[in-house]
Amino acid sequence: MTSVLLILLGFFAGLVGALAGIGGGIIITPILALHFGIPIREAIGTSLVAVITTSAASSSVHLQRHTTDIRLGMTLELATALGASITAYVVAYLNRSALEGLFAAFLLWGAISLLRRRDDDVGDESSPALLQAAAEIPDYTPRRYPLGLGASLVAGGLSGLLGIGGGPIKVPVMYLFMDVPLMVATATSNFMIGVTAAASAFVYFRRGDINTAVAAPLAVGVFVGSLIGAKLSPRIHSKYLIYLLVVIMLYLSGHLALHLWGTLHA
Amino acid sequence: MTVIREPGFDKAVARVLRIGAFAGFAIMLAGVVGGIFDHSVVSRRIEIIGVEVMLITPLVRVFTSFILFTHEKDWRYSAISFGVLLMLLLGAVFGIGEH
Repeated sequence: MTSVLLILLGFFAGLVGALAGIGGGIIITPILALHFGIPIREAIGTSLVAVITTSAASSSVHLQRHTTDIRLGMTLELATALGASITAYVVAYLNRSALEGLFAAFLLWGAISLLRRRDDDVGDESSPALLQAAAEIPDYTPRRYPLGLGASLVAGGLSGLLGIGGGPIKVPVMYLFMDVPLMVATATSNFMIGVTAAASAFVYFRRGDINTAVAAPLAVGVFVGSLIGAKLSPRIHSKYLIYLLVVIMLYLSGHLALHLWGTLHA
Repeated sequence: MTVIREPGFDKAVARVLRIGAFAGFAIMLAGVVGGIFDHSVVSRRIEIIGVEVMLITPLVRVFTSFILFTHEKDWRYSAISFGVLLMLLLGAVFGIGEH
C-alpha cells in the first residue's frame, strides 16, 4: 500500500515539478520526513534518486533539441560535483534538528522566490522560450568562469546538503553573469543536475542513507509524472500551479518548523 | 567560442541518458509491481538494481563524454571530463560515513 502512495507522491512531484519548472526534490524530502516517518537524512538521500531520474529523462530531451552546452556544463560540474560530495560527507555530522531547520528555511526561501519569479522567466523550465525547440540560439561566449564556478560550488553544496537540484542558483548565474542565453542556461543546468546529484548520492548510498524500497516506487512515479508534465506544460497556465506549489511549500516549511519546535521542547 | 551545435555528440550523450533512465525505470517498476504482489526478497533485490542503474547513469554519461572528447582530440575538455569522473568515483569509492 505504501508503494502505491509513494508512486502517487512521485507522480505528483514530477508532474508539478515539470509544469512549474522546479525540481521535485524540494517537496519530496519534507513529505517523506513528515508523512512517511523517514529520518530527514534518509529522506534527502532517497529524494536524490528522484532528482537524478528527472534530470536524465528531461535532459535527454533538451539534448535532442541541441540547447545544452555540454562543454560549459562539464566545466561547471567540476565545481558542483565537488561541492555536492563535500556537503554529502558533512551531512553525516549534522544532527536531525539542524537539517530540519535548514530545510524549513530553504522551503520558505523557495516559496518566496517562486512568488517573486512569476513575471520573469529565469529558472522556469516551462517558459515559452524553451518550448520553441527550433528557436535560434544567438552566438555567445560564456564569460566570468570563476564566478560561474563559485556559484556552482554553492549550488552543488546545497544539492548535497538538501537533496535538491540547485537550478535556481545556476540558471540566473549563467544567464545574468556568464552571458549564456536563457534557453541554453536552463537546459545546461538541468543537464548538470544528474551528475551533481549522483556525486552526493554515491556518498549517501554507501552510508546506507538511500532507502531503495522507498526510492524505487518514488522514482517510478517521478519518471512518468515528469514526462507527462513536460508534454502538458505548453497547454497549462502555470499561475495557479505556482500558487498551489507555494501553498504546499509554506505548509511543509511550517510543519517542519513545528516538528522541530516539538522535538527541541520535548 | 563555444560550439554547442554538435548533433552527433548531443545525440550520443542523449542516448546514454535515455537508455539509462528507461532501463532504471523499467527495472524499478518490475521490482515495485512484483513487491506489491509477493513481498519477496527477489522483488526487493530488483528494486535495488533499478536504483543502482539510475545512480550510475550520470557516471556513464560523463565517461561517454570523456571518450568522445578524447576521440575528438579536445584535450582540454577530455581532462575536464576526467576530473568530473574522478570526483564521482571518489564519492563512490570513499563514500563511507560513520553512521
